[in-house]
Amino acid sequence: MKEPLVHGGGALLSIANLTVSLPERQRTITGSGDLTLVEGLSLDIRPGERLALVGESGSGKSLTARSILQLDPALKLEGSITWKGCELLGASRRVLQKVRGAEISMIFQDPMTALNPVLTIGEQVAEPLLVRGVPRRKAYARAVEMLDRLGVPKAKERMRAYPGQFSGGMRQRVVMAAALVAQPQLLIADEPTTALDVRVQEQVLDLLEEQSRELNLAVLFITHDLAIVAGLAQRVAVMFRGRLVEEKPVDELFDHPDHPYTQGLIGSIPRIDLDPDTRLTTVEDYLVLQGGAHHE
Amino acid sequence: MKSETAGAPSAKLADAPSAISAAVSAASIGGAAARLGRRLFGRRTAGVDRMAFGLVALLTIAAVVGPFVTPYDPFAVETSEALRPPSAAHLLGTDDVGRDVLSRLLAGAGLTLLSAAAIVVLAAAVGIVVASVAALLPRRADEAIMRACDIFMSIPSLVLALGLAAALGPSMLSIIVAMVAASWPSTARLMRGILRETMSSSYVESARILGMSRPRLMLRHVLPNSLDAIYVQASMEISGTIVMISGLAFLGVGAPPPSPDWGSMIAEGQQYTTTAWWISLFPGLAISLGAIAFGLVGDAVRSFVDPSSRRSS
Repeated sequence: MKEPLVHGGGALLSIANLTVSLPERQRTITGSGDLTLVEGLSLDIRPGERLALVGESGSGKSLTARSILQLDPALKLEGSITWKGCELLGASRRVLQKVRGAEISMIFQDPMTALNPVLTIGEQVAEPLLVRGVPRRKAYARAVEMLDRLGVPKAKERMRAYPGQFSGGMRQRVVMAAALVAQPQLLIADEPTTALDVRVQEQVLDLLEEQSRELNLAVLFITHDLAIVAGLAQRVAVMFRGRLVEEKPVDELFDHPDHPYTQGLIGSIPRIDLDPDTRLTTVEDYLVLQGGAHHE
Repeated sequence: MKSETAGAPSAKLADAPSAISAAVSAASIGGAAARLGRRLFGRRTAGVDRMAFGLVALLTIAAVVGPFVTPYDPFAVETSEALRPPSAAHLLGTDDVGRDVLSRLLAGAGLTLLSAAAIVVLAAAVGIVVASVAALLPRRADEAIMRACDIFMSIPSLVLALGLAAALGPSMLSIIVAMVAASWPSTARLMRGILRETMSSSYVESARILGMSRPRLMLRHVLPNSLDAIYVQASMEISGTIVMISGLAFLGVGAPPPSPDWGSMIAEGQQYTTTAWWISLFPGLAISLGAIAFGLVGDAVRSFVDPSSRRSS
């Protein structure tokens, strides 16, 4: 287990030795004992920092992010997750409700299903403020401002539109507006661009970076796309089979990947400046090195 | 600021998010109803649906204005006119004490149809509330509530209705109470499944992540997106309920004798079926017509809500 770059001091969010497992009684497929999904993960995020968490499907990156907000009550979480010095693991539902949306927000992969089809855009963007007792008029003004900020044209008129009247890219902007309207300090973005086409992807990524800079917003960006990581993140953490295998500033990671899995990943990206005869590596090479070990 | 006065302008409402969310839910239900109306009346509506909707409209008009436009007093006993077959004077004939069958049919339309509607609406309301509570509670409580519903459902509803009505005394109200008691569990079970499904949808999770409380999630995000199935079930159930009410009234559980509800009318004509068939036949036809019309409307509502079940026409 590699030590994270910074510990404790100055960290906004500090995950220490997090283990996520599925308790035996919740298991639906055969097998006995708790099923460990994420093991001994430690990670810090500083204010305003953009951290990418990369890894293949099933490596535990989404689960780690969801565990921060404790979205899956069926899972057993051990270790410690501290937010601005307060322990979140084992916090009451009320405390979590307060943190969710106003301090830590999260957006998902598919903007097509992330909005309630029967409520207007305005109602949904203003809602995180309304539930916190902000007067309606003020909440709506803030919502318009946020939509405008995220590049939704004619935001004021669009407040009355329904999600079905928006395109995918516009919906992701609306989703982001709702996530940011209550001024959280950390945004967890779980593959927010995977469902979008490349042009829209770029716009959304630019927006994310812009907001992160302007609002001093920390972003935990979860993706399996290393190309996105290079442009957006300052630091990268690589997960493999439920463990954090490497964590470094982004340039360092691309230049000197330490872990064989990361090397395999980076070596498999085709690059224009590479000698045409160089063979791209595959991640399977690493798996073979490991003896194809399948735990579980 | 919490105290709301009736008719307060929207500025006042700004401080009562719960009132607003309730109003918004109501508005979204209203919006769905408007879409439904367009679908039923629209140009592309199938002929059968139009007919069914026309029939239901006709029956509704009969139920509301029927009692005021009867050609004769539905309760006036005229022994000299007893057991007359249908004629120009008495279009549907007269019964054994000389009351005009058409007048009684019209007078009873409201009693039968409105009771059916009341039963369905009340049962749906109870079912939705129980299902919402069950869906919000932890698994075990949820299980307990659902098993309780199973137990209720295992009692034959006719027997439950008979027993309850017998205990409460014969009246339309006891039929309504008995029928609601017999039919809410199926709505609760149906709704609870749908609510659980909607609760796991991505937009509900997103709202939860933005800090919404569970009751708010339920009222604003889950319920408005789960009611489609209720429209279908309710409109389908009206027809079954009309038949059940009439059956109970026929068995003597309903309103006492002079009452012109359709089931009692069939019962009154029972001994004359071979000599004065019109006394029982016309109320019977009215019941069938009502049941068929509402059944077809239920079909139309389903094809509106769930386009995949649409008839190819």
